[in-house]
Amino acid sequence: MRYLLIYASDPDLAAQWSDEAEAEVFSWIEETIRSGVNLQGTRLRPAADATTVKIRDGALIITDGPFAETKEQVAGYDLLECASLDEAVRWAERNPHAWAGAVEVRALPDRAPAVPLPAPAKDKIRYVMLVCTDPSVDPREFDRVDPVDPWVTEMDGRGARLYGSELEPPGSARTVRVREKHAIVTDGPFAETKEQIAGFDVLECTDLDDAIEIARGHPMARLGVLEVRPFWPFESE
Amino acid sequence: MTEPGGQPAVEAAVAGAFREEWGRITAALIHRTGDWDLAEECAQDAFAQALRRWPRDGVPDRPGAWLMTVARNGAIDRLRRDSTYRAKVEELAAMAAREAEGDTPEPAADESGVTDERLRLIFTCCHPALAMEARVALTLRTLTGLSTAEIARAFLVPEATMAKRLVRAKRKISNARIPYRVPRASALPERVPGVLAVLYLVFNEGYSASTGDDLIRRELCDRAVALTQVLAELLPAEPEAKGLLALMLFHRARQAARVDDRGDLVTLEHQDRTRWDQAQIGVARRHLEEAVAAKRPGQYQVQAAIAGCHAAAQTARATDWARIARLYQHLADMTGSPVVELNRAVAVAMADGPAAGLALLQRLADSGALAGYYLLPATRADFLRRLGRPEEAASAYQEALDLAATGPERRFLRARLEEARSQSA
Repeated sequence: MRYLLIYASDPDLAAQWSDEAEAEVFSWIEETIRSGVNLQGTRLRPAADATTVKIRDGALIITDGPFAETKEQVAGYDLLECASLDEAVRWAERNPHAWAGAVEVRALPDRAPAVPLPAPAKDKIRYVMLVCTDPSVDPREFDRVDPVDPWVTEMDGRGARLYGSELEPPGSARTVRVREKHAIVTDGPFAETKEQIAGFDVLECTDLDDAIEIARGHPMARLGVLEVRPFWPFESE
Repeated sequence: MTEPGGQPAVEAAVAGAFREEWGRITAALIHRTGDWDLAEECAQDAFAQALRRWPRDGVPDRPGAWLMTVARNGAIDRLRRDSTYRAKVEELAAMAAREAEGDTPEPAADESGVTDERLRLIFTCCHPALAMEARVALTLRTLTGLSTAEIARAFLVPEATMAKRLVRAKRKISNARIPYRVPRASALPERVPGVLAVLYLVFNEGYSASTGDDLIRRELCDRAVALTQVLAELLPAEPEAKGLLALMLFHRARQAARVDDRGDLVTLEHQDRTRWDQAQIGVARRHLEEAVAAKRPGQYQVQAAIAGCHAAAQTARATDWARIARLYQHLADMTGSPVVELNRAVAVAMADGPAAGLALLQRLADSGALAGYYLLPATRADFLRRLGRPEEAASAYQEALDLAATGPERRFLRARLEEARSQSA
């Protein structure tokens, strides 16, 4: 089974993010890769660098900022191949993001592929596109959402989409926080908002306008919100 | 900018060059180096050098080229000190070499077919992925060269807040890779309105509010007009740019008559129309005619047409209110804005009498869309006054007074309140 570990950082706990935590992250990544668990992952630029895209009444709406104004904000992810949810939760407990915020563990549907990301293309930038629900949209509308397959086929063909999957509903998620060295595992997602992450895609683009063009074509642009957030590779400053 | 020390003629030359060339220089340096801070610092240094050297050496024949060379050389020097920027240094050196060979330094056209560097910069500064307040600040700082302190003063926020806003915006441009480019032609209709909205907001901030520093506010108006002019020239196929330019010019033409000697606001009805700038009105009218000829109406063109109706009336009584009411109806259909609906009520009251206006206001009040907006009770008060119902007028004026923010507005309402009270007594 594949599980997405979504890291949420808490600005109030920023002090927890010490050199020790930084070193711990590296050894965590190293260990998960060595044991064959880690399929892919990245840290992300801060929420202030996020852009949201949606279409309402046929008009494209682009907004500065993340999909939900929560205190904890998505800071990165890793995609793990684990035998069970419990195993994924155990990895999450050992990840320093659990000390400085929260780690949400979300299962991917079985049909999700287990391919790693290719080496970065020169002069391109990667974004994660979080496919999120919009609580103000009538859920009955979702019965009328267009299938996503044509979009996936087109973007894969253009080399613009490197990976992506729906996520199992947030109800089946676990959220891990480590406080005073004790792991606290709760049911449900990290953010107690009505907006929720329903899926994600990894995009490789020339620039933000390119990413916005790709995002607007996603069927969920009309019914939800797409957050486009740049990757933050470790080799960059 | 630093205080100029030379003769008035040189000062004027530097000030003129500043207006004309600042945006061009920052745009060219940002394009070559991708470094916004570097571009601003080097442009600033170039103008500082002009202030020192032009009084001594005389104003160069081509001030713009002189400034561009000094700014570019400054950028090369700074970048050379940091060897990681070799590619950028080579970019700048190549730019200098092309100029030395007599080639035009114009960059290659975008997909949109536009070559002016400033246009790219406008679209980057006004990118919808930036918060509106960041777009406004960035446009003023980078394209017009207003200092951070001046922008902070204009928007009544502490300088540190404004500085942070600018840093944040530039960081997002770099981190999220907001492109430095004019959108392709097919995307222009979607992106131009956002740019115009920023320019209109800057203009309005300078034009409508009467609090704060008058000088800096006038400056905001002028800078907004200048940028809109650039946009209208460079995007001739976008009639709304010309429409907005016409709208701004119609308004600015009335600026001298809007405030009396005591600094009090004078309503359109009572303005001394001989003080309106007819030359500017003429220019506005030509821009509007050109825009309308494209037969692609938009809200700025309609607003400009309304402003043009007022400008055409030699006396307040001669105003074609029926036509203005129709234009507001058109505008309300386009925007769905309750403020437009309020203005339509005013026009209808003038065309068909205050009772007709009052009925429209009632509908607007019932919708609750303008709750807390002082002009709603102020307008109702005016209609009631004209209907000879001074007691009701007085209580509506009081309601408006409780909501109004700025000094001149409050003084105006207080005077009207006294008047209504004396009539009802």
